[in-house]
Amino acid sequence: MTATPLDLFLFAALPYLALALLVFGSLYRYRTRRFTYSALSSQFLESRALRWGTVPFHLGILVLLVGHLVPFLAPVLWRDLVAHRPFLLAVETVGVAAAALTVVGLGVLFLRRITASKLQHVSTVLDLAVVLLLGFQVVVGLGVAVMHRWGAVWSVGTITPYLWSLLELQPDVSYVAALPPLVKLHLVGAWAIFLIVPFSRLVHVFSLPLGYLVRPPQRVVWATRRRLEEAAEAMQQRVTRRHLIRGLAGAGAAGLLLSLGVMDKLLHFFQGPRMSLEEESALLGTRLHRLQRTAEERQLELERMREPYIRIARLGDLSTDRGRYFVDYRMRPALAFRGADGLPLLISAKCTHLGCTVASEVDARGRLLCPCHISYFDLETGKPNPGSPAKEPLPHLGWVLRDTDGTVVAGWSPSGQTLGMPSPERLEDYEVWIARSFEDLEREVA
Amino acid sequence: MNPRIGAAVSGTVPVVCLVAALAFGGVAPAAAYPEFETFVEMHSGRSIDCSLCHTHPDGPEGVRPGQIRALTPEELERLNQARGAFEPGTRVDSPILNDFGDLILRVVGKRRFLELRTSDPEALAAELGFDSDLDGDGIPDAQEYLQGTHPLDSQHGDPWLLFRNNLRAYALHLTLILLATLLGLYGLHHLLAWFDVTAQAAVSEPGRKEGSAP
Amino acid sequence: MAGPGRLETALQVLSDRLPVEKMNVRSLFTSKEVPVHRMSWAYYLGGLAIFLFVVQLVTGLLLLFYYEPTVSDAHASVDFITHHVSGGALIRNLHTWAASALLLTLMAHLLTAFAMKAFVKPREITWVSGVVLLLIAFAFGFTGYLLPWHQIAVNATKVGLQSIEEMGRYLPGALSEWPRQLRELIQGEAAVGQATLSRFYAIHVVVLPLVTFALLGLHLLAVQLHGMSPGVDRPSGRTERFFPFFLLKDFWLWGVAFLALFVLALCLPFESLYPYPLFEAYDSMGSTPDGIKPEWYFYFLYYPLELLPFWVVSLGSMASLGVLTAAPWLFRGSSRRTLRLLAVVAALYLVVMTVFGQTLYEIFRGGGG
Repeated sequence: MTATPLDLFLFAALPYLALALLVFGSLYRYRTRRFTYSALSSQFLESRALRWGTVPFHLGILVLLVGHLVPFLAPVLWRDLVAHRPFLLAVETVGVAAAALTVVGLGVLFLRRITASKLQHVSTVLDLAVVLLLGFQVVVGLGVAVMHRWGAVWSVGTITPYLWSLLELQPDVSYVAALPPLVKLHLVGAWAIFLIVPFSRLVHVFSLPLGYLVRPPQRVVWATRRRLEEAAEAMQQRVTRRHLIRGLAGAGAAGLLLSLGVMDKLLHFFQGPRMSLEEESALLGTRLHRLQRTAEERQLELERMREPYIRIARLGDLSTDRGRYFVDYRMRPALAFRGADGLPLLISAKCTHLGCTVASEVDARGRLLCPCHISYFDLETGKPNPGSPAKEPLPHLGWVLRDTDGTVVAGWSPSGQTLGMPSPERLEDYEVWIARSFEDLEREVA
Repeated sequence: MNPRIGAAVSGTVPVVCLVAALAFGGVAPAAAYPEFETFVEMHSGRSIDCSLCHTHPDGPEGVRPGQIRALTPEELERLNQARGAFEPGTRVDSPILNDFGDLILRVVGKRRFLELRTSDPEALAAELGFDSDLDGDGIPDAQEYLQGTHPLDSQHGDPWLLFRNNLRAYALHLTLILLATLLGLYGLHHLLAWFDVTAQAAVSEPGRKEGSAP
Repeated sequence: MAGPGRLETALQVLSDRLPVEKMNVRSLFTSKEVPVHRMSWAYYLGGLAIFLFVVQLVTGLLLLFYYEPTVSDAHASVDFITHHVSGGALIRNLHTWAASALLLTLMAHLLTAFAMKAFVKPREITWVSGVVLLLIAFAFGFTGYLLPWHQIAVNATKVGLQSIEEMGRYLPGALSEWPRQLRELIQGEAAVGQATLSRFYAIHVVVLPLVTFALLGLHLLAVQLHGMSPGVDRPSGRTERFFPFFLLKDFWLWGVAFLALFVLALCLPFESLYPYPLFEAYDSMGSTPDGIKPEWYFYFLYYPLELLPFWVVSLGSMASLGVLTAAPWLFRGSSRRTLRLLAVVAALYLVVMTVFGQTLYEIFRGGGG
């Protein structure tokens, strides 16, 4: 949007005029009428209302001043800070609160100046103008904060470069030309305030008694006894109050900072994590998967509790060099092979080193490999190869051969007992089962 | 080459798929690659397990979930596709590999991976490149591979590196907490002093000169 | 008949140990003095322990909101807290780091209280309740360790409970069954499983905290009533006021401790100090990773168990515990110089065994297993 002549005047010419007057006017006044470099305090004339007016006003205006200066002086840092939403909310809240304080203070100051008779003898038109102008500026600023949120964010991209462009003597009005009228009004008000500083009581901002903040408590030594005692007591009270104020300020600031950082996190902690639909469905998927696995495991456990025999496979389907995995009665992984003699060969698949499941292929030397730490177990004897990490052999498991109609034909226990006599022609059709206990088996075998 | 065997008979499909995969895969049936594990443990001094790259900590062999014998037909399909990823560039989603394993196949390709296995496991890190950081802990995945820390767990990494990265990432929070603690202690200090002075003043008789600032 | 006389003596003994007449604002607050000497720094350790305990309570409570004590979901819930819950990783790491800090502080507190002869009459109740509190703290650590249900948690607990069963070898006849039955009583079933997890959870979250509140209340009451012990054999008479100076320095120490804990918890996840296989979900049908060990504060018991015969270690620990509990009576006449020496020796043992335990193990047992 191209800048109108009015924009050019208000935002290019007026600032330079105001700043020039500010600098040279204040210098001139300092050289020629130094004693007027003060706020001309009227505290002697009327102090009660003054306290309720000046303290909130100054507190508020100082906070607002700092809040306006930081984005101007350190825009990059400010931008990073306000990227955090809790920080932005905190800053804006503090700003609005400070503005409210300022308005209240200014209101009191204005009312005081038009009602107290003693004051009116020493007040000038400019005093009233200053109060009104400041009040106007703060109210308009409040309006900007409410109608055009969030100032802390958009000012970094518009006002800050504009101001820097002014200071670099290459004024770029395009930054502010497109801003809403309320904001422009606020800017103009600022230049107006700068303009009247050297002519009014506002010149006291250049003569701040900063040393007052850190001066030690004053000891007034009186000559009379009564005054002496009173002074000691008053001193005591002042010291006490100083501690209290500092204590409350410290604790309060700490509390504020903690709320900034912690409350937001704590609230989200109790709210629970906000996950996208994919994350939620992935999480639910894993939970379901886990439940299914638990159900399968319980199923296996139940089977092993109820059934005296568990079917592994048909003997004809087992191979001599590729084992079939199953779960034994103690819920451990195991492998089922067919031995060289045609009978089943069942061996535990839980490596005796650290419990990995061994691989199911038999290599050229008749060994099973545990891939975790490379141990080889001989299939026939179960013994690990010398030098392997595993030291104990893999135990063999007992098996039972049952005919297709269910009769137990033969069995073998790890202690070496063989029962029954399987007939070689029917061997392929027999089924391999594992038994819970071998003693019951002896009764069953024909 | 991708053996696309139509789903049909239940139990035979996995076996057929497996046999087909073996036939077309042309490499030894799935076995762990202990050369990499040995290298990492020796190089980093940290003990690791197969879950650095695989879904199951004991590797791809076995009947547990994430191992080959427990795969559904749909997962076997994915496994076959992953097995065929010899050249880099194919996005794979192998059921026996975690995201880091998939990354290796995608960036390096299976053929080069197998070459490195016997010749130079250390070079895998350089070939992976140090751009990827899957768990977002500030340490590149290839570096986590070299240091034996888990590349998919943001809570696991070289302690000193993690500390440094987190310090930088949380600088704002740390400053706020430091400020809050210091201010709180300062406030507490003065509150205690105030309490003490008031209590002492109350104890002594009124009007008597008492107490100076602690 | 000296009946009433004995009752009176008993009451006198009790009121010496718990002088309730001192429970007024003046002696508790305004005129309380703390001795100043070269061991004064040790007076702050008790307060630090309370602060860390409170940190544990708060973080533990927050963890409680999301933890699920079932074998199928425990590990996943802890994962959820760490990776999905806002601030969860911080809270979990705070809880773990503060646990280690708490146990370190408690050991230091015990050793310094011993060296300052703070157990002598009339502070026996304080001392004995303190020893019991230390044992409770170890129980806290042991039960809490199991809750995440990962590889090192379950396997280390199994190993730890196994050592109870080893006692059976040394007991005659039918008694040799008792350790195994005791172990199953603790576990709740034949092997470490859901029953163990449920009861360890109840113990860690409800039983031990309640017992701690009761005992800690007694311990703190006794400390407040008696005031700080003199601490050296020849007190210089220099004291400082408890309120506000000592208290202030206490608070500063708490502030520093809090900051250190916070930085550690935020920036250094404790899991990075261990190999990651130890933190994977426990799989009863899978393999066990290398490096299963109890927590570092158990090393002073664990490595001796690995290096020395079982009976030596069990006799030694029972004797030490007995000496510790009976200290108010055993060391009544000892000078603080002797006690300091004993405390230094004990501290040296603890430090060497904790820091160099693994090295010692490898020297004496390595290469051959």
